[in-house]
Amino acid sequence: MTAQTLDAFQVIADPSRRQMLMMLSKDNMTINSLAENFDMSRPAVSKHVKILYNAGFITIKDIGRERYCTLKQDGFDEVQDFINYFDKFWISKLKKLETILNNKTKSNQ
Amino acid sequence: MEKEIKQTWHFKQSLEEVWEYLTKPELIEQWLMKSDFKPIVGHKFQFTFVPKNDNKYAGIVTCQVLEVKPFTKLSYSWNGGMKDGSRTFNSIVVWTLTPKDNGTELQLQHNGFTILEDILNHTSGWNSCVKRIEELINAVRK
Repeated sequence: MTAQTLDAFQVIADPSRRQMLMMLSKDNMTINSLAENFDMSRPAVSKHVKILYNAGFITIKDIGRERYCTLKQDGFDEVQDFINYFDKFWISKLKKLETILNNKTKSNQ
Repeated sequence: MEKEIKQTWHFKQSLEEVWEYLTKPELIEQWLMKSDFKPIVGHKFQFTFVPKNDNKYAGIVTCQVLEVKPFTKLSYSWNGGMKDGSRTFNSIVVWTLTPKDNGTELQLQHNGFTILEDILNHTSGWNSCVKRIEELINAVRK
């Protein structure tokens, strides 16, 4: 089965996937044990798992016959980047405002 | 993980002076962006800029004035998107002005991101998730 590659925001936009991430935040789980918690077919669960994997939110490791899912940092970094971008954006703008106001005050004196 | 975009700045200038720079388009343009802003609740306007090559964001921000309390508070919606159209987001910018130390304390809050709503506003589960990631990373470093 093929799974699309979505960006971090599209990935967490889906409630089932968010729930999967929450469950994995408590412990590593096999795809089968994840599937037990969802009222959807095993292939549907696998598809969500693949989307999480493709976007860098989880790693999948085969141990024996089971496939174990573990949380991974990369996917979360994209969300953090978004916040950092605006943080930096406003800091640079406010610095500019400060400079303009201070220069104006000086020239008036 | 930083969950909120919030900045507090102190200016030596008066509330009135700082307010002017938040509400007059010709002054806003000097430090922020070109716009057709008017300090009237409900007024729809746009900020425009020319994004640098490495900037992923589109050069138009669509806004609407939500609150105007002269010299005290100003807020507007801030709806933007990516250059490649892959994503749009809605958010809210709130400016709060307070007199302090013969000058003005200006606080900026940029939040209400619909795109991040679930992770930022419903943080209880998310915090545990982030903690778990921190543990994992620390474990790897050890």
